[in-house]
This record gives sequence, structure tokens and C-alpha cells, in this order.
Amino acid sequence: MTETEKGKAEKTEIIITGFGGQGIILAGRILGKAATLGDHRESTLVQSYGPESRGGACSAQVTISDSPIPYPYVRNPDILVCMSQGGYEKFGGLLREEGTLLIDRDLVRMGEDDRPRFAIPATRMAEELGRKMMANIIMLGFLTSVTGVVSPRAARDAVAESVPKGTEEMNITAFNKGFDHGAALLKGRRKKASGKTGA
Amino acid sequence: MPEFKVILFMCNWGPHAAYQELQDRAAEIPPEIQMVRIPCSGRISKALLFKAFEMGADGVLLLGCETGTCRYGTGTATALKNVEDTRGILALLGLGADRLRFASFMPDEAEALLEFLQTAISDIRAIGPSPVTPPVKRSPILEEAETIRQVVAAHDVYACQDCGKCSSACSLTLSGKPFSPRAIAGAVINGEIASQAVRDGIWSCLTCGLCYDRCPSAVDFPLFIRDMRNVLSNAGLPGFEAHGGFFQSLMRTMTSPGVRPRHYEWLSGDIKTDHKSKILFFGGCAPYFDIFYRNHLGVETARILKDAIRLLNFFDIYPQILEDERCCGHDLLWSGDRESFRKLARLNVDRIREAGVEEVVTACPECYRTLATDYPAEGVEVPFRVVHLFEILDREIEKGAVEFKGPEQILTFQDPCRLSRLENRPELPRKLLARLESWDFREMPDSGRGAICCGNTAWIGCDAFSKALQAKRLRQARETGSDLLVTACPKCQIHLKCAMEDPFQGEDLQMTLRDLTSILADAIQWA
Repeated sequence: MTETEKGKAEKTEIIITGFGGQGIILAGRILGKAATLGDHRESTLVQSYGPESRGGACSAQVTISDSPIPYPYVRNPDILVCMSQGGYEKFGGLLREEGTLLIDRDLVRMGEDDRPRFAIPATRMAEELGRKMMANIIMLGFLTSVTGVVSPRAARDAVAESVPKGTEEMNITAFNKGFDHGAALLKGRRKKASGKTGA
Repeated sequence: MPEFKVILFMCNWGPHAAYQELQDRAAEIPPEIQMVRIPCSGRISKALLFKAFEMGADGVLLLGCETGTCRYGTGTATALKNVEDTRGILALLGLGADRLRFASFMPDEAEALLEFLQTAISDIRAIGPSPVTPPVKRSPILEEAETIRQVVAAHDVYACQDCGKCSSACSLTLSGKPFSPRAIAGAVINGEIASQAVRDGIWSCLTCGLCYDRCPSAVDFPLFIRDMRNVLSNAGLPGFEAHGGFFQSLMRTMTSPGVRPRHYEWLSGDIKTDHKSKILFFGGCAPYFDIFYRNHLGVETARILKDAIRLLNFFDIYPQILEDERCCGHDLLWSGDRESFRKLARLNVDRIREAGVEEVVTACPECYRTLATDYPAEGVEVPFRVVHLFEILDREIEKGAVEFKGPEQILTFQDPCRLSRLENRPELPRKLLARLESWDFREMPDSGRGAICCGNTAWIGCDAFSKALQAKRLRQARETGSDLLVTACPKCQIHLKCAMEDPFQGEDLQMTLRDLTSILADAIQWA
């Protein structure tokens, strides 16, 4: 995020949603950690528990701000990350008009909804890496490159710190995969906008 | 007067009569001219025209009869084509097309002939002396017995158990040729190198490496053959070069440091390169092939170079290119001329080092093999990484946001021996083929490391059996039900296309051929 953008949107509200067990809450926690410990900003996390964490739509609400956050709940997110169909259906309508929507391409069908979105086959990519459970980290990398809400270095440090010992390298690989995918997607859009589709 | 040499090939009929008139009246024929009387201008092939330049001629003039007056019918037409092609090659090589000229004269045109000769000589003088240093004639090394023992020992040919797995796999043997790797190995060990059959065998081998792949004793037969060819060449024995040795001549010419090729002059402006880049794209000799074959096969292999850079550009990689790129030397090494190979290797490495490059990318399997493996093995240290274009593409495509759009076709793939077998990377092209989702990919029965050769390597020993094995390969390709045969080496394309020209079975062998790099370049899109 550039300096001017940062000044204007000093507070960013994010909802990450998916099935219980996908590591949604962990992704939210890593994001908040990256913002506070790495980027030295303020952040809060509200995690929704209850029956949702037994396989229903679960969510992590993250607020990142340059000033102290008096109210941690997120009503209308600036960034919405959907890793399940249920999550998309429950939170999809809450996204702000100018908000950014990120989805797992294989798990979310948007039907008639033609809002702009950033799609990544995170779960499939995690499977290709050999660990389906790393889809959340891939999504986090993707989120970092597409939105720039946290700096890549802070995010990588937070990932390495938050995952089980011994799996750091693998998780960083996953993070980089998502990050590269986001960067490639942005590059592709830039190229398309300048009228260059093919080689 | 500096020694200036212009070779005049002159047809026995029209022009020679005019020339004799000039001689009879002691006309001032320029002293630079060295005349060679020939039966017909059409008999001077591209190889013969070029050979003169390899040997240091500053210019070559070919004189024939006027079109329509050729005693043999098509001589003049053939000569015109040969000269046009060779001029194209000379231009690309940086020697200058105008060093070679064709003209036709009737017997009564002595005056016109004299004027032509004088103008031609002054034009060639204006271009300057040829930068080619002719090869020093070496006396043949006849002490071959000891060298052969060393070669046999170096590749542990003694380990051959005479089991016959090699000949049961060899593409040449299976095409019906009386050829057997183990028999050659045995004969060389027994000191039968003087036998013509053994020598023929050494020059016939495709060096495709299928026998080495199957050999239980791991006798590296291709390398053994390569070194044996060097022994035979050093002994002054002739090789079996195809096309009259044109390509070997071409590559040897490039060993002169003064030669400055213009390798990329044809490249169009929409391709972006950056002369400061740490990445160098090494194209290979395809542009020469296209000129050489333009009247026969009409192949477009130089497109591979352009499409490779297009693909790199697509991913925002703007590589450096060497405007004066030379041949990597692969064909010289594999046709027994190790000395010239090493010269080329040193010139190339020095030039690349000078360009400040850290990584060399190539789309040619032979350049890849030669730069990455043979240069260090032959004692030329390589201060850069060598990667195949496919590795970079796979890495970039893996990042995502890219898709491939194109006609739904069924593809099959001809493995290049240098990439799939000698360098053991059959997965590289396949990973990319797997990404072409709307295409259907079908393997031929012999594929990957076990693929059948395209018919020839290093422009050596092409014959009817090469054709037979190409026909077999093309039938295999058609039997998969595919409508597009994908190649990844310009030579596979040239050789297979050549087999399709067969006047008797050509129709049964027709198939559209395209290089994988070009397919990807045309189909790739940002998603």
C-alpha cells in the first residue's frame, strides 16, 4: 500500500471466513500479529466460536489501524476472504461497496454475483504441496500481495512464528506460493488493462 | 598488393568459351581470380560454395549459362537457388552477401564478362579481406592404437558383455540397417579399426543414447562413438557429413575470432531485449537452417527463438541477446572435430563472460546440453548457470494467473534426445504439455527416455535407413490419433519434415509439426 493510500485508509477491517478446521482463526491471528509485531500498528481479532467451529461457517474478524481500536467487531469489512461457500453466502453481502473480495476459486461459486474478485485455487495448491491444511497460509500470502494490508516481511515472520515447530519452511513455501500467485494476478491485470493479453 | 583470393567457378559451356577468348587476347583478367572449371554451375552445391569461404576465400563468383540455355536443363535454376541461399547465410554470418555472386554469360559475351570480373573484384575488395582464418592443415595422427585404447578405457567399453540389449533397442538396427553397437564395441577393442565396416558403423551411429539407456553395464556408447570419430578425423579419414558437410563448414568458419555474425538481424521490433540484463538468451543456429532449407522444406525454426523471447517478455523478463552469437559447437564435437569445438566453446564463454551474464537461457536442447555439460567436460569452465527455457516457463506459469487458449487439438510429442535422454529431463516438456488443458495429449509407444530418434544427429550419416526410421516414427505419431506432432528441437522438426517429403509414402506420413515453444507463445494469456 502506498503512503497516500495508507493515510486515507488508516483503518482496515477484514473478515476471513471458511469451514471450521481450515485454519481461519489462525490466519486471522497471523494477520494481526504481522500488523502489530511486524508493522508496529494496532490490531484486534474477534473469533467466532460455537457450533460454527464444528464444520459450519466460521470467521475471524481482524481490524488493523494506525490508532488504538475502540471497537473490535467488524460489520462491513473492507476486505472479505471466503474459503467456503457457506462463508461467502453469510458474509458476502456485508462487504463494502469499494471493498476487496478474495475467494478460493474451487470452493466458492459466486453465481449471479458479478462483483470484482481475486480468485485463487488455494486448497488445490495446498494439495499439490502435499498438505491440504496449508490452504490458509497460501490464502494469507495471496491476501498480502493483493491488498498490501500488511508488509510481506511482517507476514512471513508472523507465519514462521505461529506455525508448529519444524513446519516453518513448508509454510513459508506455501505463503510464497500464494504471494506469487497474487503478484502474477495483479501483473496480468495490469497487462490486460494496457491491452496486452497474450505473448 | 595484399594477397586477395577470389574463387571463380566457371561453367564449361557458355562462360568458359567467353573466358577463353579473354585469355587468347591476353585481356587483363584480375590477378586475384583463381579459376576452377566445372561441368555445370548447378553442380556447385551450397556446401562447395561455402567451403571456399571456410578455406579463407575473400569472394566466390559462380558463372553459368543463361537461364534456358543450360545444356543440362535445370543447372542455372539450381545455381541461382544455391547462390541465393548461400548469400543469405553469408549475410547472417556477417561475412556479407556480396562476397558471393552469380552471373551468366554466353560464349560471345567476352567483353561483358571482363567488365563483370573487374567490377566484382573491386566490389569485393571494397568489402575488405575475409575475417576467416582458414584451418591449419595438420598432418594426420597415425599413432591411433594408443589413442583408441585410451578412448575405450575412458568409457569403459571393456564392460560390454555382448548381451545385445543395445542392438535390440537401437533405432537404426530396428530400421533394418546392418548395424550393431556391441559389434562395433567388440571390433574396436580387438583392434579392427582398419575395417571399413567398423568405420562405417562409427559414422552411422545416431548417438541418440538409447543403447546407453538400456545397457546393463552402462557403457556410454554415444560418448565412445563421439571420441572414436575424433580419432578417425585426426587420422585424416573422411567423415559421413550430410549436405556435403555444409553445416560443419559453417560452424568451423565461426571459430575465427574475426567473424562477427549478425544472428538477430531478422528479429522484429516487438521483441524486447535489454543489453544490461543478467540473463542471456542463447538462440542457436535455427536462423541458418531456415535459409538453408527454404527451397526444400520451408521450415520455420527461427520462429522458436522469437517465440522463446516473446514468452520471456510475457513474464517481464527482458533478456540480453548476443547480436554476434555463434554456434555452440555441438555438431562439431559430435562429428569428430574436437579442436574446432574447443575454439568455439572458448570464444562463446569469453563473449558471454564479457556480457556480464549470470544465467544463460536456451530453448535448444543441443545448446542446453553443450553449454551445461560438454563445455565443462571438455575443460572450458562456465561462469554462469545454464537453464532450459522450459524450466523458467514452468516456474513462472506455476505462479498462476496464466491460461492457455487455442484450438482443441490432440497432441503427441517427439522427445529431443539431447534433452530427454542425454540430459535426462523428459519431464520438462511434459509438465508444460500438461498445462495445455483444452488439448488432449497422447504419448507415442516409445516416449520419454525411450523415444525413437528423429533420424539424425549432428548432420552425420543420413541415409535410406534414417528415412526408414523416420517413417516408422511418423507412423507411430499418426497412430496415436493425434493431429499435431509437437517437437522441442529445430532438428527434430527438420528431419521429420524431410521424411514427409518422400515421393512414395509422403501422403501416409503427413502431419502438422509445431514446436512446443511456439505453441505456448501463441496460446498463453493472462487469466
